[in-house]
Amino acid sequence: MDLFLQFLANGLVTGTFYALSALGLTLIFGLMRVVNFAHGEFYMLGGVLGWFVTAHLGLDFFSGLVLVAVVMAGFGWLVDRVLIERVRGQGEEPGILLTIGLSIFLANTALLLAGTAPQKIAGPLPNAPVFLGPVVLTEMRIFAVAVCAALILGAHLLIKKTKLGRAMRATFQDPMAAQLAGIKTARVYASTFALGSVLAASSGMLLGAIYSAQVTVGGIVSLKAFVVVILGGMGSFAGAIVGGLLLGVAEAFWGGYVSTGMVDIIGFIIVILTLIFKPYGLFSARAERA
Amino acid sequence: MKLERNSLLILAALAAVFPLLVTDQYLLHIGIMVLFYAVLASSLNLIVGYVGEFSLGHTAFLGLGAYTAAILSTRYGLPMWATVPLAGLLSAGLGSLIGAITLRLQGPYFVIITLAFAEVLRIIANNWVGVTNGPMGIAGIAQPDILASASTLFAKRFYFYIALAIAGVALYLAYRFVYSNTGRAAVTVRENRYVAQSVGIQPFAYAMRAFVLGAFLAGLAGGFYAHYISFVGADVFRFSFMATMIIMVLIGGKGTLLGPLVGALLVTLMEEYLREAQELRMSIFGLIVMLVVLFLPKGLMGFLTLRRERRGDQGDAPGCTPHVQAQGGAA
Repeated sequence: MDLFLQFLANGLVTGTFYALSALGLTLIFGLMRVVNFAHGEFYMLGGVLGWFVTAHLGLDFFSGLVLVAVVMAGFGWLVDRVLIERVRGQGEEPGILLTIGLSIFLANTALLLAGTAPQKIAGPLPNAPVFLGPVVLTEMRIFAVAVCAALILGAHLLIKKTKLGRAMRATFQDPMAAQLAGIKTARVYASTFALGSVLAASSGMLLGAIYSAQVTVGGIVSLKAFVVVILGGMGSFAGAIVGGLLLGVAEAFWGGYVSTGMVDIIGFIIVILTLIFKPYGLFSARAERA
Repeated sequence: MKLERNSLLILAALAAVFPLLVTDQYLLHIGIMVLFYAVLASSLNLIVGYVGEFSLGHTAFLGLGAYTAAILSTRYGLPMWATVPLAGLLSAGLGSLIGAITLRLQGPYFVIITLAFAEVLRIIANNWVGVTNGPMGIAGIAQPDILASASTLFAKRFYFYIALAIAGVALYLAYRFVYSNTGRAAVTVRENRYVAQSVGIQPFAYAMRAFVLGAFLAGLAGGFYAHYISFVGADVFRFSFMATMIIMVLIGGKGTLLGPLVGALLVTLMEEYLREAQELRMSIFGLIVMLVVLFLPKGLMGFLTLRRERRGDQGDAPGCTPHVQAQGGAA
């Protein structure tokens, strides 16, 4: 029974990380109908840049995180204006191919520049164990979960309460009407892409402090993010959070009780089953779009 | 149609005399890889170009074919002429299973579910040590008896002709498929699903045929690969194979029969040229994918046919005209 609670806690912690890393993907898909296959590479860039600014520029963790967020916002904005802009309105396929190309390019260019060795980002808190009843967690993990929750809440408030967020929701509902109402949709698209990149990159840096920042991680992160987003429903904010937690818990129990060797397979089985039985996910945002 | 058929026949004739003129084993090896990739790219093209859905899971069929041939050969001692067709048939079986599930989905959902299937197979191949020998892979796959006392040059020539035969079968089947009622129906579905349905074409049935044929051809290629390299590991499921196939189909032009051949030739030669710099090669591939999508969305063959049409050359319109007209006009 003790182990059950420990697995549950581990699963919820990992699930929060999954939720944050999938949030950017689901936002970009929901608003722009672009499936960003380079999402995992944005996460990877966050980790590698985070390592660079803390280890080489000597910044502390928080100012490093802010700097990485600013850089990645600019990068996301540029990617949208230079690449995605050109294939907007041509359906989904060119966007998919373009981001697959981008992901191959980013992953291998980063490999050339930074090498394959995993890099540890110095976290702001030690990895000292914390005992909560029968459950053991580390300080750093609890801290990371808190930052994840804060970032998710921040993104939620940005979308629900600010002018930019209202413009985003309007564009999501009907781009043409939004344009007629005076919303500069091109700018809204670029901001959404920047926001998605920032979310991916900050989860990359945060998790780089817990596990390690590695150049080759992009592919598996993309896949996990897809699992979460498909489980939750593409474009759904709540779906990404619930989907992330579910995947985290499912993996923790599978790894704890069944086998550790094939933990990654559980995500793909979830994807296949979801797409067969409930193809638009648990929380489909599809109905909102006419 | 005539243009495509004649070009295919000329290419086949050129390929048939190539090993007689060349005695350099390295060149022969490149020739074999070009043919191997030509089969793979053509099989992916059946799905990408004629179903109109983008599959990221084509390595599933390549890998299954390779493992089938490897296991049948090492464990049951079957000769190559039996293992390669069996590899194709088993892949076709898996293709009909995966197709029955995945072809109900479209767009990004199709891309992701095919990727998920390939990943599942890769994880199984890596972990099911009893059958696949896990990460160690299967080594020492038997060569045909005829090569036992032959020179290495003869072996390369032998494999070249086997590859050519497989490529011939692949292109013959693809050609017959594309220029049959089934192929025309598939093109109609690709161009406009609703119009196709309204004239009585069931999209699912036709997509399924193209998908299973693609899986069969990829399985053949995988079986050949296992014997030629004589080693199979979980590497055959890796994404760089998939990326190479995608680039070949895109550069050459999807939805044409010649396109994947041109792509296979160009990309294999470029790969050999850049083989010293592995990461740089993949970086350049990524850039090429982006540039092709942005500036050459129909690939080289699409570009050429578009120019032929612009010049008003009505002599023999190639088979892919509806596609070019439908989207070339909008561009």
